[in-house]
Amino acid sequence: MSSLRARGVTKRFGGVVALSDVTLDVHPGEIHGLIGPNGSGKTTLLNLFSGYYRPDGGKIALDDEDLSLAPVQRRPRVGVARTFQKPRLLPTLTVLDNAMIGGWPDTRAGFVATALGLPRPDREDRQLRLRAHELLFGVGLGGVISRRANLLEHAEQRFLEIARGLMLRPRFILLDEPAGGLTGAEIDHLGAIIKTMRDCGVGVLLVEHHTDFVFRLSDRVTTLDLGKVIKHGPPQDVRNDPEVIRVYLGA
Amino acid sequence: MKNRRLLALGAVMLVLVTLPFWVRNNYQLHLGALIGAYWVLIAGLNLVAGYTGPISVGHVGLLSIGAYAFAILAGTHGIHAAPAIALAGAIGGLCGLVLGLPSLRLPGFYFAMSTLACSLIVGELALAKQGLTGGGVGIAVPGFPAPFHTPRGTYWLILIIGSAVTWLTWNVARRMWGRALIAVRDSVVTAQAVGVPVLRLKLTVFVFSGITAGVAGALFGSLQSYITPDTFVFEMGLFFFVCIIIGGRGGIVGPLIGTAVLTALPELAAPLAKLGNLLYGVLLLVVVLLLPEGIGRLFEVIVERLRGRRVESRPVAPDLARLAAAIKLGRAP
Repeated sequence: MSSLRARGVTKRFGGVVALSDVTLDVHPGEIHGLIGPNGSGKTTLLNLFSGYYRPDGGKIALDDEDLSLAPVQRRPRVGVARTFQKPRLLPTLTVLDNAMIGGWPDTRAGFVATALGLPRPDREDRQLRLRAHELLFGVGLGGVISRRANLLEHAEQRFLEIARGLMLRPRFILLDEPAGGLTGAEIDHLGAIIKTMRDCGVGVLLVEHHTDFVFRLSDRVTTLDLGKVIKHGPPQDVRNDPEVIRVYLGA
Repeated sequence: MKNRRLLALGAVMLVLVTLPFWVRNNYQLHLGALIGAYWVLIAGLNLVAGYTGPISVGHVGLLSIGAYAFAILAGTHGIHAAPAIALAGAIGGLCGLVLGLPSLRLPGFYFAMSTLACSLIVGELALAKQGLTGGGVGIAVPGFPAPFHTPRGTYWLILIIGSAVTWLTWNVARRMWGRALIAVRDSVVTAQAVGVPVLRLKLTVFVFSGITAGVAGALFGSLQSYITPDTFVFEMGLFFFVCIIIGGRGGIVGPLIGTAVLTALPELAAPLAKLGNLLYGVLLLVVVLLLPEGIGRLFEVIVERLRGRRVESRPVAPDLARLAAAIKLGRAP
C-alpha cells in the first residue's frame, strides 16, 4: 500500500515562508501526529495535503499521482478526506443528510436520471443512507440522526465531521484539531474512534494542540516550528527531544 | 407518516383538479392558471435560488424569451402548440446556458447584476427586432388547441405541466443532487471537500431553470394572449425571487405557497389594489425579520411543536465494533 506524501514542500504567502522544504509521509493504517506552536505551519500543511493551497515548491503525491496542482475535488476521488478545525456542517440539513453528502463521489446518477425518478438514483440513495446510518451509530450519533445540524452540540458536530469524512471511504483522513473544545470523556471517545479508523487500515494525519492526546495515540509524530520539521519519529523520542521541549512543550 | 403525506397530497391535487368547478368566475380561474404558469418558472428557479444559492433576478428575461418564442413559432409560423412549447423550453434552456456559463463564476451580488442586465437586454432586443416580435406594438399569442382551448382546458394543461415540473424538482431535492445543491449554497468549502463540482452543479440547475422559464413563458404568453416588451417589466424578475424568499429557501411547498399568495393577494384584495405593493413590502419585511427561513419553515416548526419532539442531550457514545464494520462495508468492492 502506498503512502500520502509531501516531498520537500514549500509554501509562501507574500514574503512570509509558511513552510520550507517539509517532507512528511502518512502511511496507511498509522496515526501520524503533527504538532507545533501556533503559526508553525501545521494547518498550512494540512491545506496543502487537502488541496486548498498549492505548493510553491516540492510536491504532494499519492500512489503515482502528483496531487500538487489537482483541485480540492480530486482528493475524495483518490481517497483523501479531511475534517475542519471549525466544523463546517450544513445547518438546515439533518445529521443523516450531512453524513450522506460524503457519498457524493459514489453518486453516479446524473441530474436527468434523478429528476425523472429513475431506479438508479433511488438505489444509490438507499445504499448511501444505510452506510451513513451505520457510520453515525458507530461514532455515537445514533440518537440524533434526524436532528438538524444547527441544533447539535459541539462534540456532536466534531463527530459528525468525522462520519462525513468516513462516508468518502477514505484511505487517508486528515483531522484538523479534532479534540478542540471537547471534554475529557469526549476526547477519550475521539481517541477510540481514531484508533478504530487506523485498525481498519485508514491512515490518519492528526493535527492537534493537545500534545498528551497526540503522544498517547500516534504511531509517529512530526513537530514543526517556523515552517520547518524540527523532529520526527516515535512519540517517546519526540517527547524527550530537547529542541521540541524548548520550542513547544516547555519544561 | 408516509400515508398521511400521500393523503394530504391527494387532497390538494383533488382541490386543484376540481378548481374550475367551484371558482366563482373565469377571472378567478385565470388567476389560478396564472399562478400555475408563474410556478412553472419559480419551481425551476427554486432549484437555483432556493437550493443552490445564486440569486437570479433576471428570469423575467428568460420568461419573455419563452413567450416570444411560442408566439412566433405557434402564431407566426403556425407550428402545433405541443412542439412549440417544447421548443420554447429548449430555447430558454439554451439562453440559460449562454447566460450561466460566464456569469455563474461570479460571486453572488455580481451574478445577480448580470442576470438583471440580461433581462434588460432581452427587453431592448424585443423592442428593436420589430419584424420578429412586433416591437413596441407587441405580438398576439395563440391559445392552445382542443381540448385545452377553453379557460378550463388551459388551466388543466398548466396544472399538468406545473405538477410535472414540481415532481421533477422534488425528485432532485430529495436525492444526493439535492444535498449537493444545498452544500453549494451553505458551504462551498464543504461541497468541494466531498468532491462536488460546484460550477457544474450551478450550471446544470440554471439550464434546467431556463427550460422551465421558457415553458412558463409559452404558458404565460398564451394566458395574456397579447404581449409587448412592457409585459415583462423588471419587477417581475424580482417578484419571482421574492416568492422563493417568502416561501423559504430549501423547500418546495414554501415557495409554492409564496407564489400563490403573492400572485393572488393584490388581485383578490381588489379594494386594496392601490395598496398591493405596500402589502408586498410589509409581507416581505415581516418574513425577512421574523421568519428568515420563510413560510415553509413556519409550518415545519408548528408540526414539530405539535409532535412535541423534545431536544434532549445525551453524551456521545461510540459503538466501535459497528464503526469498524461500517468502515469495512465501505471498503468492500
